[in-house]
Amino acid sequence: MVPLENYLALSGIIFAIGVYGVLARRNAVVILMSVELMLNAVSLNFVAFAAYLDPDAITGAVFAVFVITVAAAEVGLALAIVIRLFRNHSTSNVDEVAALKW
Amino acid sequence: MATEVLWWLFAAVMVASAIGVVAARSIIHSAIFLIISLGVVGAMYLFLTVEFLALVQFLIYGGAVTVLILLALMLTRMATGDERMIVNGPQAPFGFLVAGVLAVILVGVAFGTSWRGDVDDLPANISIHQVSEVMFMNFGAPFIFVAVLLLVALVGAIILARQEDAE
Repeated sequence: MVPLENYLALSGIIFAIGVYGVLARRNAVVILMSVELMLNAVSLNFVAFAAYLDPDAITGAVFAVFVITVAAAEVGLALAIVIRLFRNHSTSNVDEVAALKW
Repeated sequence: MATEVLWWLFAAVMVASAIGVVAARSIIHSAIFLIISLGVVGAMYLFLTVEFLALVQFLIYGGAVTVLILLALMLTRMATGDERMIVNGPQAPFGFLVAGVLAVILVGVAFGTSWRGDVDDLPANISIHQVSEVMFMNFGAPFIFVAVLLLVALVGAIILARQEDAE
């Protein structure tokens, strides 16, 4: 059986990769994909903890369902913002969208 | 034993495709790597015996979210080939540093902590019946809040992305 530590380390690595994507990339859609990676790492963590430490092992799955729902709402809204951004500024590069920058 | 070999194989695919998402020069390649990575997360849910969640993962992420992302890519691509653009901002080395430190900390904590209650074996398959029972009996209020949130978010997305004729 795979120990709990492996799941935690795997999701930690995936989360860090997502953080790198959010910080380094310039395209807004790729930043959004990196956020999806981070959300998935977290919900994998929830489910792993529930399966190994919770005697019922169900609460973590319920949490993951909520995370997936919020992620779906977030991705829909964020892509609408990206499309509106592209229509107004003709770019999806977050470094060029500096209208509010002092 | 075979399960462990399979687990390591899936873990390697997951890390490799996650690196592909953030490192691929073409955005379309990033999206395809994202599909692989999210699919492997679904396989991890199967290893953790939550079959319902694996199905939800495949449906929502493998289907809906990736289609949405590909659609947004299609709508926001410049006409000129932007494959050779600089994909990383000037802050990329610092991002690499932060992510590296974060990974070291997270992995170190995961292996450094002694987690209580070593179960001998994972629970048998968690059925959709059990999940729904807990969700509707114990988590009724969050369920309603999430439903309202989803509705509001979708209406907001439609309003944001709508074409305005009169302008």
